Amino acid sequence: MARQTGNAVVSGALLSLALLGIGLVTGWLAQRSRMCFVGGLRDWIMVRDTELLTGLFSFLATVWVLTSVLSLLGILHQGAPELGAAGRASGYRTGAPGGLVLARVGSAAAGPVAALINHFFLASLAGGFLIGVLSVIAGGCVMRQHVLLAQGDGDARFYLAGFYGGAIVYYLALERLLDWVYR
Amino acid sequence: MRARRYLKPWIFGVAAGVMFVGADALLPISPPSAYAFCLSCHVRDLVTAIVNSVAHSRFPASEVGSRALMLTSPGVLIGALLAAWINGEIHPRRASRPVLYAVLGLLVMVLGITIFGCTTRIVLRAGYGEIYGIVALVGMFAGVAISTVFIKWRVKRGTRS
Repeated sequence: MARQTGNAVVSGALLSLALLGIGLVTGWLAQRSRMCFVGGLRDWIMVRDTELLTGLFSFLATVWVLTSVLSLLGILHQGAPELGAAGRASGYRTGAPGGLVLARVGSAAAGPVAALINHFFLASLAGGFLIGVLSVIAGGCVMRQHVLLAQGDGDARFYLAGFYGGAIVYYLALERLLDWVYR
Repeated sequence: MRARRYLKPWIFGVAAGVMFVGADALLPISPPSAYAFCLSCHVRDLVTAIVNSVAHSRFPASEVGSRALMLTSPGVLIGALLAAWINGEIHPRRASRPVLYAVLGLLVMVLGITIFGCTTRIVLRAGYGEIYGIVALVGMFAGVAISTVFIKWRVKRGTRS
């Protein structure tokens, strides 16, 4: 209910500014902390340095606790479809379990576990794997590349150019190819 | 020159977690869940919004992307630029391998659109308790671990011979 009135009050321009603000604060914090979401595990395996790994796990733990509390209070909206009405994958939904998943997995296990293992399951596993490998080769996650570009790194400039171009390449050349994923 | 003060990464983790979940609860960015921060998806929405309005194409984007401009990625760039500028940490470096990095960026973007998440949103979705987010995070950990072990093994072999 509150969300629907919020939709009317917060206009698109205000929402754009809010997202810009989230980006600004995140960029500032990321630059000051040298945070990287793949660098943690990499540094730990390479030289047993746990500093960046604590960043990843504190982020994961904070999100988990907050979403669990908020969805218990009924504030957080979960399980919304990923793309708009025009999207090919409009039926696909993220965030389905809705917080406290570790407590609920047991009860859900009686249900359709086999239904979870579909093309998107395999694509998530393989896609996550490849993103991990490619990010290690590039020397940092996507957010870290933004920070490196801001610090004047020439390679990150080309990384980000490819990154922005990737959205167009996806829809022009690969969309039908990857349609299999959502079936 | 004043002393440089770094932020502990765990402070980033807590601050970013509170900010992203808080924004999701307070702002109407819900139609895709866990959507307060994602560089792949938000860049996808931004680029498709611009291309759709210029070329009158109908590339799909998220529901929020049709209501607002997803300015997260430019925001991160500006925020990091301000932080680096104020603290005197801008050191221009020439690109060493432009083609490799452009291809890497392109591939990460395509994979990110396919599984609905950049590295950050994969962790965010896993924190939301979404099963495919957890699966993607496990895959990401495996990819990072295996490639790092491979690099370490190759370096070790190189120093021995």
